[in-house]
Amino acid sequence: MPLPCRQQLRPGPNRQRLRQLGSTKKRKKGYAPSTRPLVKGSNLCFLFVKHKYTNSFRVPCSLLIISYSGSAPHRPRRPRHATSPPPGGDQSAIAPMPLPTMTHSSSFLLPSPPAEAAAAADAVAYAVIVLNQRLPRFASLLWTRAQLRVCADGGANRLFDGMPELHPGEDPDEVRARYKPDAIKGDMDSIRPEVKEFYSNLGAKIVDESHDQDTTDLHKCISFITRNPPGPDKANLCILVLGALGGRFDHEMGNINVLYRFSNIKIILLSDESLIFLLPKTHNHEILVDQSIEGPHCGLIPMGMPSSSSTTTGLRWNLDNTSMSYGGLVSTSNIVDDKKVMVTSDSDLIWTISLRNHT
Amino acid sequence: MPGILSKSLTYHIQELKMLWRTIRSMDVMVHSSSFLLPKIHQPAKTPANNYTLVVLNQHLPRFMPRLWAHAKLRICADGGANRIFYEMPQMTNDQDCETTRNRYIPEIIEGDMDSIRPEVKRFYSNQGSTISDKSHNQETTDLHKCISSIRHRTPSHEKSDLCVLVTGALGGRFDHEAANINVLYVFSDMRIIFLSDDCLIQLLPKTHQHEINIESSVEGPHCGLFPIGAPSTSTTTTGLKWNLSEAKMRFGSMISTSNIVDSEKVTVQSDADLLWTISLRNLT
Repeated sequence: MPLPCRQQLRPGPNRQRLRQLGSTKKRKKGYAPSTRPLVKGSNLCFLFVKHKYTNSFRVPCSLLIISYSGSAPHRPRRPRHATSPPPGGDQSAIAPMPLPTMTHSSSFLLPSPPAEAAAAADAVAYAVIVLNQRLPRFASLLWTRAQLRVCADGGANRLFDGMPELHPGEDPDEVRARYKPDAIKGDMDSIRPEVKEFYSNLGAKIVDESHDQDTTDLHKCISFITRNPPGPDKANLCILVLGALGGRFDHEMGNINVLYRFSNIKIILLSDESLIFLLPKTHNHEILVDQSIEGPHCGLIPMGMPSSSSTTTGLRWNLDNTSMSYGGLVSTSNIVDDKKVMVTSDSDLIWTISLRNHT
Repeated sequence: MPGILSKSLTYHIQELKMLWRTIRSMDVMVHSSSFLLPKIHQPAKTPANNYTLVVLNQHLPRFMPRLWAHAKLRICADGGANRIFYEMPQMTNDQDCETTRNRYIPEIIEGDMDSIRPEVKRFYSNQGSTISDKSHNQETTDLHKCISSIRHRTPSHEKSDLCVLVTGALGGRFDHEAANINVLYVFSDMRIIFLSDDCLIQLLPKTHQHEINIESSVEGPHCGLFPIGAPSTSTTTTGLKWNLSEAKMRFGSMISTSNIVDSEKVTVQSDADLLWTISLRNLT
């Protein structure tokens, strides 16, 4: 079916590598040449072919136009889905190994989560991180749900000021004592001295990492939590982050980058309006949607890398081996049509869903 | 034979590299945030003199009156008209709401009209605003419709002088923000700048070298560069505290956040489309 978006030509393996591998190299799934150039009105653009055995080098498009059709964006080589070929057998007929399935659920947003889920042996252990932005309206709910609570630097100010506001009519200091963090971590350039003293007196661990200017406060907090996981093991850990979206754009991008850097850990960024998390390409994804707390608006965003093939079920406008990229098609303002949404993609995607007003 | 093939390939690559650098060195795009200055301090020469303002449906930034004064054309995207109607009076020193509302009339209100309040639509319609109902088109966002019609409306000889300023594109629902950022990529041949209280963002297309003039009275020092669409294998900058030198950038690895502007001029050259962001000072 022809698509309204611009399709992209993926760079073929360079000719030198083809000779090394032999001409029987099987084409990857969905590897179709494009007929439309990506960049309007420009005849020359760089094609970057990243090569495993030699240094990466640039091959301008004009050279490749002789052998390929259309202009091509630079893209590093996509890693294979399959880890290794099966022993013996014809190399050219390798069937891709099925991907494991990762399940996602927003049950932590329910006012009272299902009892059997909490009691199960593989129950999810939640950690919450508060960054330096206004607390969302459901902050108290997540706080009580979590087993480990960490403030990133100025997030402690937000907790100090914001929790009493979420509990009007109650004594502010009582509220603050009830909602105290286990740790405050970061470079300590935003936290107010009186806030630091207050929580320190209540027993919060203050971890000053001002010597480390290479990573963001969120990165430091995630590292801390992975070294001190709340549950029996990291496999059932889910980190909820408040205040990661909105605000200064470079902070937001840095926070989203943390999702990619810790792609093996479930991390969910939440705001008043929506939540986002990463769907790594290494898995098929099963997203359980509870329409009482979230939806119906949702989206799939190929942040940082185009996707040449994504497939979904359960959405109003499903994708079917569809290409997505910035400059082309990005799935936004989609609608969740089912209790279960399935997503498979050849690229890491960001899933986002809106939160209902009463959540 | 691989040896001979690699030698001729290398030779071609070197030759084309030099040719590419020569060609690229001629395409410099100059940027400036002079639209953030109070109008009386407008420098004589700016890269773009023709500002169009698009107001989306989120809280207006504190410096909205300043943007309004600079713009030659003001368009409200659907619910953006509600924002002008209700929030502008709080930003001015006018005696009453009515005076403010009469002063800030958008020329066009465009979109699918599902958010604009009836009384707001009626008020601006009576004041002479063109109401452009695009509800039949559900394929594109309100911002996309506005940018598309701006482009159609602008004669080709004026396109290079045009700069579209957009408020309310950041924050809010994440898929809206992602769709708005995609508009920057889809219309990559136009200058479009998103503004919020905290920062501005704009696309630096890979087809050009970029020279960003910093107005340090209104912006900075925090800045960043992001390869949102695709990774960059070579980005070079000058004028930043932590400059990049043919650096690789990708999500999952290194991206430039919390950088600091160290000079009046920042230059950026990359093999990928990058999003540039710089923080805004407390402007009113």
